[in-house]
Amino acid sequence: MPHGPDRTGNGAVGTSPAPDSFEAEVLALLPSLRRYSRSLTRSDADGEDLLQDCVEKILTRRNQWRGLNLRGWVLTIMTNLYRNGRRRQGGRSFVDIDDNDHLPAAEIDDDPLQRSRLELALNSLSEDYRAVLMLVVVEGHSYQDVAEMLNVPIGTVMSRLSRARQKMTSLLNADNVVTLRRPR
Amino acid sequence: MNEHKPTVTEADLHAFADGLLPPERQAELEAWLIENPQDAAAVAAWQAQNDEIRAMFSPYAISMDSDKNLVLKIGKTSIGQREVQKRNRLMMMLAASVALFLAGIATGRFAPDLFARPELQLTAIEALPQQAHSAFVVYASDVRHPVEVGADQEAHLATWLGKRMNVAGLKVPSLQKLGFQLVGGRLLPINGTPGALFMYENATGQRLTVLVGRNSGNTTTSFRFASDNAVETFYWIDGDLGYAVTGEISRDMLQQVADECYKQFSS
Repeated sequence: MPHGPDRTGNGAVGTSPAPDSFEAEVLALLPSLRRYSRSLTRSDADGEDLLQDCVEKILTRRNQWRGLNLRGWVLTIMTNLYRNGRRRQGGRSFVDIDDNDHLPAAEIDDDPLQRSRLELALNSLSEDYRAVLMLVVVEGHSYQDVAEMLNVPIGTVMSRLSRARQKMTSLLNADNVVTLRRPR
Repeated sequence: MNEHKPTVTEADLHAFADGLLPPERQAELEAWLIENPQDAAAVAAWQAQNDEIRAMFSPYAISMDSDKNLVLKIGKTSIGQREVQKRNRLMMMLAASVALFLAGIATGRFAPDLFARPELQLTAIEALPQQAHSAFVVYASDVRHPVEVGADQEAHLATWLGKRMNVAGLKVPSLQKLGFQLVGGRLLPINGTPGALFMYENATGQRLTVLVGRNSGNTTTSFRFASDNAVETFYWIDGDLGYAVTGEISRDMLQQVADECYKQFSS
């Protein structure tokens, strides 16, 4: 193998414009990448798959990295992988809550816990909304950062964030928690 | 900049909730939120949501033994090897999340307080809708022996079940004004302790059940709703008792029944 990403050591020996420490930098990013991939997906297994696909992609594309803000570049790649993956799956088992005024029965039954309610609400977000929410809330990026990462205007970031929260709130307040009246 | 007419946009509210507002506007927003309780409520809800989301995913920000292999070797392994690696990684991930979870339990730091408390208090209520559902399915369909003690011995039913459950003055709710007559009741194990099941029937023969079980946690929850194959259940915990109202009737009617039971049980 002449050169490329598939070396075993971390000496890039000048065959690529990426710095010698590229792998080391990616390695240092892995914990936060793991968190972000899990925050986008529905299960630990899906999270690890997305993480692995992402690492593979950044290693094969390391020559395209312009040497600035590795984290932002990698999060962008992961977000795109996630969105493409979801599109490939054709949105199966994916119900927009706008068309659905209460949760599917089978799911409610499994999830009386608040944590599960939260997870269900997150799972009902479209991938664009979820990515924006997680980049801001979990990864702590500014709206401007997110706009640049996703290559959209900042107004789009704000409207996705707003829609995401609107959906979360209406779903978390959905009709499987009902306030009954105390006798007086 | 006009002092008396501040213009606060929805984007500003989000920025405030996310801690992304420029410091020089902080005071302006705080003043605005005092004047605008609706905005303040929305911001508070978003902040609570943010905390919960962070608590949910921050435990995943960990290094794993397999990380080095992932970064260094991924390019040169075959598809088959990758699948094996994937499986190994998943096993490690599983082990890691179990370890994380146990560590969280041990230190009590798995999630912020806000988040951990409902989870603990709900472990008992978790089983309630399932038990109510099976009790309804098993007993409401029994035409000849749906109950152990019939409505004609209502007073005896109440004292007997109250004694078995160790509940002084257990009430048998009256649902007549909603069109449901008491059929009777039976003793039932709920979470391993004696519980009560009351059955009702309306003029058309539709049945519903009211289940009462002891809650060792002595907690109180909001009212929840579960549905399974057209059988609907409302359930809640109030102090040391858990309740579930189950029927194959409209959710609307069932909610009225739950409402009525709640009033009678807690009066």
